[in-house]
Amino acid sequence: MTPTLLLVEDDARLRNDLDLHFQKRGFAVTACQSGNQGLAAVRTSRFDLVLLDIMLPGMDGLSLLEALRDVDDTPVMLMSALGAEQDRITGFTRGADDYLPKPFSLAELDARANALLRRTARLHAPQTLGEDAAVQFDDGLQDVVHANQQAGLTCSEYRLLMTLRERPGEALSKPFLYQQVLHRIYTRLDRGLDVHVCNLRRKLAAIGVQHLQIQAVRGQGYILIDVNKA
Amino acid sequence: MRRHPLLWKLAFLQISFCLLLTWIIWTWGVSAERSTYFLDQADRLYLARYAQQAEDAWRNEGHAGVEGFRRRLSSEEDTWVAVIGPHLESLGITPLSALESSHLTFMRKLDWPMSRRLQDELPFVSIEFPDAPEQGRLVMQLPERLLPSGLTPWTHVLSHGVMPTLLAALLGLLIYRHLVVPLNHLRDRADSLRADDLDSDGPGLPLMHRRDELGELASAFEHMADRLRHSLNQQRLLLRTLSHELRTPLARLRIAHDSELSPEQLRERLDREIGDMQRLLEDTLDLAWLDTERPQLPTEPVLMLSIWEALCEDACFESGWPTQRLICLLGTDCCVQVHLDSIAQALENLLRNAIRFSPEHGKITLTGWREDDRWHLCLQDEGPGVAEADLERIFVPYQRLDNSTEGFGLGLAIARRAVELQGGRLWASNGQPGLIMHMTLPVSS
Repeated sequence: MTPTLLLVEDDARLRNDLDLHFQKRGFAVTACQSGNQGLAAVRTSRFDLVLLDIMLPGMDGLSLLEALRDVDDTPVMLMSALGAEQDRITGFTRGADDYLPKPFSLAELDARANALLRRTARLHAPQTLGEDAAVQFDDGLQDVVHANQQAGLTCSEYRLLMTLRERPGEALSKPFLYQQVLHRIYTRLDRGLDVHVCNLRRKLAAIGVQHLQIQAVRGQGYILIDVNKA
Repeated sequence: MRRHPLLWKLAFLQISFCLLLTWIIWTWGVSAERSTYFLDQADRLYLARYAQQAEDAWRNEGHAGVEGFRRRLSSEEDTWVAVIGPHLESLGITPLSALESSHLTFMRKLDWPMSRRLQDELPFVSIEFPDAPEQGRLVMQLPERLLPSGLTPWTHVLSHGVMPTLLAALLGLLIYRHLVVPLNHLRDRADSLRADDLDSDGPGLPLMHRRDELGELASAFEHMADRLRHSLNQQRLLLRTLSHELRTPLARLRIAHDSELSPEQLRERLDREIGDMQRLLEDTLDLAWLDTERPQLPTEPVLMLSIWEALCEDACFESGWPTQRLICLLGTDCCVQVHLDSIAQALENLLRNAIRFSPEHGKITLTGWREDDRWHLCLQDEGPGVAEADLERIFVPYQRLDNSTEGFGLGLAIARRAVELQGGRLWASNGQPGLIMHMTLPVSS
């Protein structure tokens, strides 16, 4: 099934380039140049993903986002040239599923778009987890037990481990992990996930779990490798 | 609790003024008024002469002489006259009527104040015989023309109008000098700011040394001028540097575009220059944000070791260093209360710098110890270090040392701002060998 994308961007060159790029990736793209056009498009059809510029002539991106949220919960990615320091102002992107400061690379855009689409897909078809002979995962306690030792994980760390474990051997992008594990938008200076990964590694090592390794993949994110199964 | 020194000063001035006014009116006014109710010396002598004549008449001619003198004087001065003996009996021929006797109940001597205040009647003056006061006295109603005039309207105007007015004007002048003159200084200062005279520090307002509300106002004003000067300088520096730093990659791009590069080479060059420009812009905005907004960032307990490991992962990717060259001697007990992202950014900038200046196979070490309620962290490299004179200069934005070829001179400035926002300090010293970056951060309780 062809995924559908709504693109609202007032800069004609950027809009055309993005349009072409997503068409090449197999999306059915509806491109609009103003907030009002975007609103009309949202009212007539459903989209799998919305890419929204904040500064728009007429109705701006945030108002459009608000109007959109009244209709459905399509994942929305905001784009903005407001500068990275604005990233830290939380609440500004409330209601959006992701926020991409300009300038961004197409690789970054793809990673984030995939993260949003994957999250939607995951909601509809939850994964079943493989068994692990050596380690017990205790959903009630939100903790990991190995050789009768509890790791003492925090909720976020447990959620991180379980998210990685759903797709062992597959690199999960930072935007996806931030949304899935920390329930927030990934921004350039955010180090929260990295620190959680380091804490998780240390706690697993402390109870002697050697076969589960969380590795960083440059430019992609993190991957869980089960040495026993590899 | 706010002190109100100016209120007390003004109150003191006003109270002093009121007391002074009351005192002056009380003493000077009253005495001036009284002094005008006395007969002057010539009039006293003039009246005393009549007593002498009465005595002479009594001694020489007895009752008849006195009677004659009384009538003559009475008609001369057109007033009531009596000459009485020691028992208040008339020495003349006609005895005193009851009304006349009543005049004797309140007589004044010559040196008493005279006024018609009582019953609006001219006062009765008693003058003893000069040679034999025990034998009798002359009593006469003071002739109208001799009555002291009392205060003239002009004296009244002077004592109750002009003098208080002058005093009040003096008070006004004092208050004006105390309040408005300093404000005029302040206005002059503001005018010079308006005229863009930001660079002159001015003589420093003398007002700032005052320990009252105006002093506080002056301090606040100077603080504001300081911030204004700072941010304007910042703005000028920003514009100058941005235009310079952006021109360089743009020039390189323009040349690359005009030369015969293969598409792969061109793409690589594009990528590098765009990355540079983007980093410059982001760093600049970051610094401006930290500088001007001075944001209150939420803090959380953070394990330094975890930040270090996360940063090392990236640093090793970027620089190709093996992880063994990045050493952390901190344990899991080093937990600080900070805003994670800012402190990670600061440490990342320090680490990048250290890597850039490290010799081949050089190591970088992070150590630290606890000092009361802070952690003192040290990041040491094995590079050439920095001249002692430049140890502070490296934290100034856009300052690059001579041996530095890349970067924009923003990393350390951002790091310092970020650390200071957490209530910590960041400074540099030279080690043996290399440069040591010291950082203090609050301990997480």
